[in-house]
Amino acid sequence: MEKILEVKDLCKTYIVNKRQNNVLRNVSFHINRGEMVAVMGPSGSGKSTLLYTVSGMDKMTAGDVSFCGRELAKQSENELAKMRLDDMGFIFQQMYMMKNLSVLDNIILPAVKSKKSSESRSQTAQRARELMKKLGIEEIADNDINEVSGGQLQRACIARSMINSPDMIFADEPTGALNRTSSEEVMEQLVGLNEEGTTIMCVTHDSKVAAKCTRVLFIDDGNIKGEFSLDRSTPLRERERNLNNWLMEMGW
Amino acid sequence: MYLSILKKDLKRKKTMNCILLLFVILSAMFAASSINNIVAVLTGRDSYFDKAGVKDYFIISRGEKLGEDGELYSILKNSSVVTDVAREECLYVTDSNIRYPDGSKVCEYTNASDINSIDRVALNYFDKDNNVIKSIEKGKIYTNVGFFKEANLSEGDRINVEMDGTVLELEVAGSFKDAPLGSDMMGVKRFLINDDDYKTLLANEKITSNSIGYLYYADTTDIQELEKELADVDGIYFKGDKDLLKTTYFMDLAVAAMILVLSIFLVVISFVVLRFTIGFTIAEEFREIGVMKAIGIKNISIRALYLVKYFGISLIGALIGFVLSKPFGDMLISSVSSNMVLENESRTLMSFICSMAVVVIIMLFGWRCTGKIKKLSPIDAVRNGQTGERFRKRSIMSLSKSRLGTAPFLAANDILSSPRRYSIITIIFTLCMLLVMILSTTSNSMNSAEMVTLLSVKPSDAYVAYSSAQFDILNGRKTEQEAEDEIIQKLKENGMIGDVRIELMALINASLGDRQKKITFQYCSKTNASDYEYTEGSAPQNRYEIALTEPAAKSIGAKIGDKVTLDIGGQREEYLVTALYDSFTQGGECGRLHQDVEIPSQQYAGAYSFQIDFDDDPDEEELNRRIDKLADIFECKAFDSVGFLNDCTGVADTLKDVKNLILIISVIVIIMISVLMERSFISKETGEIALQKAIGIPSWTIILTHTLRFIIVSILSAILAAALSIPFTRISMTPIYQGVFGIKNVPYVMNIAEIFIIIPLAVILATVAGAFFTALYTKTIKAQDTANIE
Repeated sequence: MEKILEVKDLCKTYIVNKRQNNVLRNVSFHINRGEMVAVMGPSGSGKSTLLYTVSGMDKMTAGDVSFCGRELAKQSENELAKMRLDDMGFIFQQMYMMKNLSVLDNIILPAVKSKKSSESRSQTAQRARELMKKLGIEEIADNDINEVSGGQLQRACIARSMINSPDMIFADEPTGALNRTSSEEVMEQLVGLNEEGTTIMCVTHDSKVAAKCTRVLFIDDGNIKGEFSLDRSTPLRERERNLNNWLMEMGW
Repeated sequence: MYLSILKKDLKRKKTMNCILLLFVILSAMFAASSINNIVAVLTGRDSYFDKAGVKDYFIISRGEKLGEDGELYSILKNSSVVTDVAREECLYVTDSNIRYPDGSKVCEYTNASDINSIDRVALNYFDKDNNVIKSIEKGKIYTNVGFFKEANLSEGDRINVEMDGTVLELEVAGSFKDAPLGSDMMGVKRFLINDDDYKTLLANEKITSNSIGYLYYADTTDIQELEKELADVDGIYFKGDKDLLKTTYFMDLAVAAMILVLSIFLVVISFVVLRFTIGFTIAEEFREIGVMKAIGIKNISIRALYLVKYFGISLIGALIGFVLSKPFGDMLISSVSSNMVLENESRTLMSFICSMAVVVIIMLFGWRCTGKIKKLSPIDAVRNGQTGERFRKRSIMSLSKSRLGTAPFLAANDILSSPRRYSIITIIFTLCMLLVMILSTTSNSMNSAEMVTLLSVKPSDAYVAYSSAQFDILNGRKTEQEAEDEIIQKLKENGMIGDVRIELMALINASLGDRQKKITFQYCSKTNASDYEYTEGSAPQNRYEIALTEPAAKSIGAKIGDKVTLDIGGQREEYLVTALYDSFTQGGECGRLHQDVEIPSQQYAGAYSFQIDFDDDPDEEELNRRIDKLADIFECKAFDSVGFLNDCTGVADTLKDVKNLILIISVIVIIMISVLMERSFISKETGEIALQKAIGIPSWTIILTHTLRFIIVSILSAILAAALSIPFTRISMTPIYQGVFGIKNVPYVMNIAEIFIIIPLAVILATVAGAFFTALYTKTIKAQDTANIE
């Protein structure tokens, strides 16, 4: 299996009020192409920091992170931006979007900026509409972002993360701000995308969400304490139960 | 608890609070200095004359003996209509008496000039800082502002006073402001020295017998009666009442009025900015207001919290603005008050009141803006300030349909999506540009040949200030025909064929009913009255018809069709008023006689330069060559139309200085506004900036978007300002011309390059610089900040 993301001895330290806070301590793991990996752990364990550091949004203090064979530490700010634009997709807990743009324009913005494809804007818009149709939000394309529900908005965020056909999507608690129904809908979409071949790294504290992934990494006190593989052919309830048992074993 | 919320607010929202504080400082500074300057300008001339101690009537005499009470002084001391009299002894000098140590003339001039001892003056004379000069060190000399500027002197320069073999080696101590004779229009050169140095000159008998003169100042209860008493006195070189002296400052006053316009603009700009900033900061608070409401805090308590904050910020800002208003106001007014003492007596009190008024206005703005708190509901805490009922369409443009690049699209879309926010910036930029454009057009107009007609002369190819010939006409030694023929002859001898004429001015007693007034009438024997421009009626057709300016007509209550009695050469005859016209001459209060009228030279009160029209219609290059040659031939100043206008009005350079100063101030204001606005936008848009970075939009695109928003706004402002510049120039400047000169129809001439290129470019560059360097701050916002957005 091809390793799309490889992390070795990753350290991240914040200095707050002259005090050193080691958020990540010698974290090592990898994610293979086509995997959907959940990162779980208690609050303050370093889940989000890990996601932002391995995606190049935040600078690492030490260690090596390699994405699609490119070492993040060696990339300039512009190269990292280009990588995030063309090869990565992001979904956040809050449905962040540009307030002055319609939902459709928010989705196509990365594609318009990217030079990855030579398609016209109308073709991009058409592709975005197809993506939206697939995610079940076609009808909100021309709406303002404050005219749609949270679940619809998060699916629009998924569409935005998908618009440049990235190698990998990073999702930070994608269902954290949604109700159960919306959460399930969003997760269905993410699982669907993964089944179509998109690699996903998803930070969550919800075992129901994690149970839909193919592998779970448990992080605590800035270090990966263990990992748990899940077989999607097993019924979801059984996967959830097995995962919860494992998490209890891990002390959570 | 309030105190701790307040403390947290001040700490956490440091940026926005600092921006608000800076705007309050700007507003208080603009308001306090502007109101002071407005008062200083409006009361300026009268207050200056009062401070100087100028009395009701002024006489310059010549030929009296040193120390003796001659006939003139006796009349003044004994007159029943004179309540107080003072006199200043002086020595008359010419430009040949004032030389550099190497023997060259310090400055060539033809006007009268005199040297005074500081211990023998009767009036107050002021240094450049408006302090009364009370003593002068031995060996030092002060020159009046006119001489100082014309000779391009600096403090510390050494000059000699050389009179009849006596030489005083003196060091220039500075320039002084001289109320009765110091206007550019008077053109008199004056010098103040130490009494010991003055006595050195008096020790020379030749000087005391040839150069002694006196200046008399008298307070009177009846000017006309006094004039009658003085009618037959010999040796009076010049006499006039205080009002006549004041009219010589009309151009200085017109320029000062421009500072008044600037001040009004600055006050408007500062309050527009303040209103925007307060509205903007309140809008920022919706989330917290929502949370406070959600936990049950009452509206009034929430409102009080913000009002206390605004009161604190505005009080600190207003106090700092109050302190800064003095140097800022001085800088503004100094550019127009080099000849005058323009000061507001109760400046400190007024500045303080203005600064406190800014606090009150801010509190009123704050009260009005916090009124929105009532409308905000707890749901705003969770729904970004938009409740379901009040959704508003924000996306105006469509990225999928637009052909614009990402940055231009985002910039244009932001502007269209927040029309109120950007309209206010557009208004501010437009006002700043308009201000400079108005002054550019005014300055350019005062430098254009078109304006010459407002001196009520028929334009010519060249103008020669041949003062000796002018004096010969005024003193009756030659007729104007003789003087003109002499010049024509000289021109012929130097290979230039042309006609010469002179516009003479005669002081004529005009009366209508029981109203009478001495009015200066212009007259030229070689032109037709119909050659001049009139605003109403038709040109005088025969010797019994006259035209008047509106202020002159008003002064005797005349209108077109009235018959006015004029006293010409002792003959009182009726003249029909056939037309009204506009003129700068004599502060706009003058008239025109028909060319067939004969005026005795005793009534001549002045003359413009000799005007020359060449027969061969030379091109511009040849004309300039000839003008230079004329200056050499007649050993005097020679001008083209624009030069002649500048020489007569004396304000072109000051106007240019004022325009440049205002351009600099506007550019600084625009940079500050761009910086502060952009910084506040960044503060509000941190989340979106972080999001753009997170999804891979490069930093330079974000910086470009932010800078482009200001560029678009400044271009829009430039277009608006250019389109509005002529109507606004008319609206703002015509009342000044009308108020000072009674002129209604001013031929404004736009400087196309300045209005359409230089000023807009300066403003756009200032905006780009301000916005760009501030937008660089977005670099400090990182993609991971997306996780920290509230």
